[in-house]
Amino acid sequence: MKRALLIAGGTVGGLGAVLAITPPQLGPTSAINIAGAPIAGADTTASASASSSSATSAATTKATAAATKSSKPVATKSASATKTPASGNSAASNSANPTAAATSAQAAPAAINGTFTGPSVNVNYGNVQVKITVVNGRITDAVAVKAPTGKNDRYTNMAVPILKAQTLKAQSANIQGASGASYTSYGWFTSLQGAIALAGL
Amino acid sequence: MNQLRRQFPVWGTIVDVDCFSQSVGGAQLDRAMESVIEFCENVDRDFSTYKDESWVTRLRQGKVAIVDCPDDVRVVWELCATAKDLSDGAFDPWAVDGGFDPSGLVKGWAADKCADLLVAAGVGHVQVNAAGDLALRGGWFDSVTGVVKPWSIGVVNPDERTEIVKVFDITDGAIATSGTYERGAHIHDPLNGLIAIGAKSATVVGPEGWLCDAMATAVMVGGQDSAQWFGQPELQGYQVFAVNRHEQTAWSI
Repeated sequence: MKRALLIAGGTVGGLGAVLAITPPQLGPTSAINIAGAPIAGADTTASASASSSSATSAATTKATAAATKSSKPVATKSASATKTPASGNSAASNSANPTAAATSAQAAPAAINGTFTGPSVNVNYGNVQVKITVVNGRITDAVAVKAPTGKNDRYTNMAVPILKAQTLKAQSANIQGASGASYTSYGWFTSLQGAIALAGL
Repeated sequence: MNQLRRQFPVWGTIVDVDCFSQSVGGAQLDRAMESVIEFCENVDRDFSTYKDESWVTRLRQGKVAIVDCPDDVRVVWELCATAKDLSDGAFDPWAVDGGFDPSGLVKGWAADKCADLLVAAGVGHVQVNAAGDLALRGGWFDSVTGVVKPWSIGVVNPDERTEIVKVFDITDGAIATSGTYERGAHIHDPLNGLIAIGAKSATVVGPEGWLCDAMATAVMVGGQDSAQWFGQPELQGYQVFAVNRHEQTAWSI
């Protein structure tokens, strides 16, 4: 009888513990994708979050607690605006840098600006921490401020590069040279050079 | 400041060399340029897959082994192996019909060598444009302002070749663009033999020309999945700019 009580108590307690912890499935880079990369595929993001999903649950839970209130509306807003896959509705927004979320909470959720540093995430063989720069809701830069070193470099760093999507548009600039796929003929080459000169590039 | 610009046909295309030097001029500068042209002709002689007697052709035909080849051919062979490894096999000169074909790497490698020849001759500011694979050294001299500036190199819009869609400022380094738009669909996915569909055009910027050239070809195959390769330590300092095939969009790292 005593044993049955213990088992029942243990089950209830375990269930409570499971419910209390938000699944730590998405890391800081997922939040990055939501914020400003509308087209770039989730490919690198996927690999990034895969490695960061092993983040210690303590860290993730802490981030959840700090960020749930403030960061949610911002992230949801940009997610719908940029038609990003709905993968990051709750957990992803939670893992955004708590301090960044706190500051953007007061501002209107329309334009997102500033630098955002994600939490340092333990990936078993070291820590990864990514800082992004956002201008008007678009990522203009993403760098790893912390990355594991040593023999695992090659593999851990593979999670670090972030695709930055952009709309293709003509640029007007003074250039000294052009890089394109191989030209086959002198005629094409001189024609291009002439056209560039005509265009005033 | 002395300036010399020469364009000469080689490798079935055009190489454009533009250089400035404070100390080297006149006949000395001409001689340096001649040595560059000679080097390019030697590269053609050794590496062309269109010449029956080139080392690469004889390698392909099994008439010689790589150990019998001259230094430059062996070096390029090794660089090809490195690039294949760094791109998870998306760049694979050994998977080409007819055997080993280093064409996807040689131009970038040779552009670097040309630029270094000029630098060794005392020329401080060099641009070598080997049909889209560029090697840059020391920036360029703007005679209007009298200031040395980074070379501003535009990436051509694959849909509208008179347009520039991206500009990279490079003082020292290399830039290479690969695409299907100019020579037709000449890049194949070595894993399945099909035409590469990863991107419409791919540009890689970084310190070494051979690696830019090879990785640009690899990104044409790998598309956005290629991003992961650029996290490897060997590719630190390399940037990617790729134009997507269908949307009017691009991505970069």
